[in-house]
Amino acid sequence: MSSVMTDTFVTGLPLVPLVLGIYLVMRIREDFDLTVDGSFAIGGAVGGTALVHGVPVPFAMALAIAAGVGAGLVTTVVHLGLGVPIMLAGLVTSLGLYSINLRTMGTPSVSLTSEHTLFSGLQALDPVARDWVSIAILFLFAVAALGAVGLFLRTEIGLALRVSGHNTRLIRSQGVSERRLIAINLLLANGLSSLSGVLVVQNQGFADVNMGVGVLIAGLGALLLGELITRPGGSRILRGLLAVLIGAVLYRLVLTMALNAGLSPTDLNLVTALTLIGAFALNRVVARAGRTLAQRRSGQRSASSWDTTHTKGAVSA
Amino acid sequence: MLELNKVRLVHNQGTSTEVVALHDLSLKVDTGQFVTVVGANGAGKSSMIQVISGAARPTSGTVRIGGADVTLRPDFGRARQVARVFDDPRAGTAPELSIEENLALAMSRGRRRRLRFAVTRSRRSVMREHLKQLGLGLEERLSAPVALLSAGQRQSLTMIMAGLTQPDVLLLDEHLAALDPGTAQRVLALTVDLSAELSCTSVMITHNMEQAISVGDRLLVMGRGRVIADISGAEKASLTVPGLVSRITEAGAEASDRMMLSPRSG
Repeated sequence: MSSVMTDTFVTGLPLVPLVLGIYLVMRIREDFDLTVDGSFAIGGAVGGTALVHGVPVPFAMALAIAAGVGAGLVTTVVHLGLGVPIMLAGLVTSLGLYSINLRTMGTPSVSLTSEHTLFSGLQALDPVARDWVSIAILFLFAVAALGAVGLFLRTEIGLALRVSGHNTRLIRSQGVSERRLIAINLLLANGLSSLSGVLVVQNQGFADVNMGVGVLIAGLGALLLGELITRPGGSRILRGLLAVLIGAVLYRLVLTMALNAGLSPTDLNLVTALTLIGAFALNRVVARAGRTLAQRRSGQRSASSWDTTHTKGAVSA
Repeated sequence: MLELNKVRLVHNQGTSTEVVALHDLSLKVDTGQFVTVVGANGAGKSSMIQVISGAARPTSGTVRIGGADVTLRPDFGRARQVARVFDDPRAGTAPELSIEENLALAMSRGRRRRLRFAVTRSRRSVMREHLKQLGLGLEERLSAPVALLSAGQRQSLTMIMAGLTQPDVLLLDEHLAALDPGTAQRVLALTVDLSAELSCTSVMITHNMEQAISVGDRLLVMGRGRVIADISGAEKASLTVPGLVSRITEAGAEASDRMMLSPRSG
């Protein structure tokens, strides 16, 4: 049981930045960016290769994040410059990145077991302690990413970003060009995705050119699972960020349990797909139940606000 | 000062569905003047608002605000000069954001937005001052989501947002249309006060003839993309609703059902 828990945290926490990026793109702006598949892999490929070449860990990770931001920039330029929809632009970028990642690594897979990584200092510890220290390190990264994005969303630019996805007329009338916000959002999301990529390769001890396949779907599944728990209504930021954290862990819990039940790692794509479908289905059911509840509650609330409006109106009139 | 010079707006130019929305429209409104605009559906009222706000670019002609030619500037590039209040109360505010966040959004209107906190203590006290004018108690509910507000409260909040940064032009596009009569009356009073306080140029579109006559110092009747009557002063004061409707029909525009029924929304 405790191994299920540690496995879940060790594999789930590195995904938090990825899911956070997907949350920014899909929930804050309602776009759909497939670049994250490629930027997750490029984070792993660039970070892994840098570590193999003896680049110190912080620099290797910074390089990986920069590569992800670069991938986001390509998609942004294709989208804004050529008018290609974000989804298609991201698909094109991801496809091209596959070849670039392969070129970067030289081989389809690179082992990091003998390299200096975030976790290599822990090898002297016994396995259980090593897991928990790894979890602590990964948790710090997850919380730092969540906290930074949470603060960003409360800034002037962040506020504009939160409005832009839902109300174009309003945001333009407030003097904001959406182009800049789209760019910021895509760069941020892909930088976060590649941060996840470089955390994962150090954690699992290897980088693989196919590691990005399906991560958008996985991240979306995680987000939906998290939202089942927290039910973020509108964009109350704290609940959204909590959904990201809980969702990433829950998603890995599902996969870990599937593996424990005797499924092979190649079955996990099916499990991910089923998780996503299940999360969609559950979200529908819960949303409907939530609406009924809200209607009952808001029936009373709107009645009372009607009263206050009108008594106040009468006083001022 | 707002100046339209021979503004022509053509939709679907060169195709079989070509529509001339504005016909070489020329108009000069002085600073501080409050203009009401009436006209049948399709008369070009909203097209004129769009051209002034920058949401639509004229096919030909120029738009000047405060002496500067803004014809080629898109709407988000004119936000410092132009404040807009939409007909849909849901369009002017972001429901998922709190009252203070909506106000903060408007406080940065037309300025470069930066990576600093949008809602600060000093901004909150400015917000409270402005919200107190409404007498709705919103200053005590700064962190409540706007989704919880009624249509009238939201439209009042939008008015406050429009006045936070001193605009040169205030555009009111049927902003009372979705409100019940009592609330519309209150928001109209707020509109008149705000316009006077800002001493900016105000342009208000309305389908309510009584409002059009009683509010503001100048009344424009539009039809088929042109200004067909420009009434001010004593002539405006002596106008009656039937008289105005007959002027619209005489001038060749069709008085729509909606206009005939206008006292309903008043």
